[in-house]
Amino acid sequence: MLLVLSEEHKEHLGFLTQVDSAVVGEFGRIAVEFLRKGTNPKIYEGAARKLNVSSDVIQHGVEGLTYLLTEGSKLMISEIDFQDSVLVLGFSEELNKLLLQLYLDNRKEIRSILGELAPKLPSYHSLEWRLDVQLASRSLRQQIKPAVTIKLHLDQNGDQTTKILQTDPATLLHLIQQLEQALGEMKTNHCRRIVRNIK
Amino acid sequence: MRFRFCGDLDCPDWVLAEISTLAKISSVKLKLICGQVLKDLQGEGIDYEKILKLTSDAKFESGDVKATIAVLSFILSSAAKHSVDSDSLSSELQQLGLPKEHATGLCRSYGEKQSPLQDSLRTRSLRLNRLDSVSWRVDHMLSSSKLQQVNEPLVHLKFTVRDGDRGVTEPFAMTVSAEKFRVLLAELRQAHAMMKTLS
Repeated sequence: MLLVLSEEHKEHLGFLTQVDSAVVGEFGRIAVEFLRKGTNPKIYEGAARKLNVSSDVIQHGVEGLTYLLTEGSKLMISEIDFQDSVLVLGFSEELNKLLLQLYLDNRKEIRSILGELAPKLPSYHSLEWRLDVQLASRSLRQQIKPAVTIKLHLDQNGDQTTKILQTDPATLLHLIQQLEQALGEMKTNHCRRIVRNIK
Repeated sequence: MRFRFCGDLDCPDWVLAEISTLAKISSVKLKLICGQVLKDLQGEGIDYEKILKLTSDAKFESGDVKATIAVLSFILSSAAKHSVDSDSLSSELQQLGLPKEHATGLCRSYGEKQSPLQDSLRTRSLRLNRLDSVSWRVDHMLSSSKLQQVNEPLVHLKFTVRDGDRGVTEPFAMTVSAEKFRVLLAELRQAHAMMKTLS
């Protein structure tokens, strides 16, 4: 599968041919660092002064490299496909090899960073419960109405939220039964077949 | 095998596994570590350094020290939760394989602190909101834009409610007319009489 690069992208990466390979290596390192920790515009200024070009050009070059790396890692393209995609840009042999090496070295790490960007639902943290019996209310005395109050602690990306629920014991038993059935589903042949095939 | 201190259920596997770790410490040191864990369960904080010193002869790794604290917390808090007396706890622990002196030492510390421990667990039980304080004021309405001579008493009530989750207090204010206030007072008095018959 080949990467299709837009004209604008090719233009941005065109800047890389004008500098020597050590600088391209440096740009590659900066690109990976940005993927790990976030961008730092000050680095563009420093590089722009050293190479005597505007910082916009540097920014486009680094961003072009970053995009190349993330698209490649996202689609998990093979070495040959990556080389072919880069050939289109008309770089020198040395530059192509450098880019390929950069891609192969950092592919796994970039994939793990991209994996963390998927949206996450709130997940279970802990549960507190309490059993009460309502004995009387303003409208009716001499009652016996048991109720279970549950405080569910949820965790979403470090934020803690709580949800307060109340149920009677019959519904709670039903809930437990349904959850046990759900756990039991893992042991059916259908699920076992799928799990075996994924592994 | 059903154990009372586990709530008439089977003992968890990890507890069984860690009983052998407990047997490695001398019974005197175990009693001292119990004292520390009991302090932690009552919310007074734990002196980890002291426990490290006490377990240093048994040459525990950090994982073993944490396992010891975890299994002692579980045993002591479950026993308090299910109101198990110290003699039954001692016999059940010996059935699980804990040597006699260790079990008697542990249960003696437990027996001394059982009531305060149960009290602190009771205060930590699930409570949603709590009434912190009430303040009131009686006004006399002289006149209003609708009627020149009103001459009616009015009660201002302010409840300070403590939120169970965040521990912050929120004020809640309302005004009550004389009639409604009489009804409110009568109903609350009936509820109070009912609470008295139960306690």
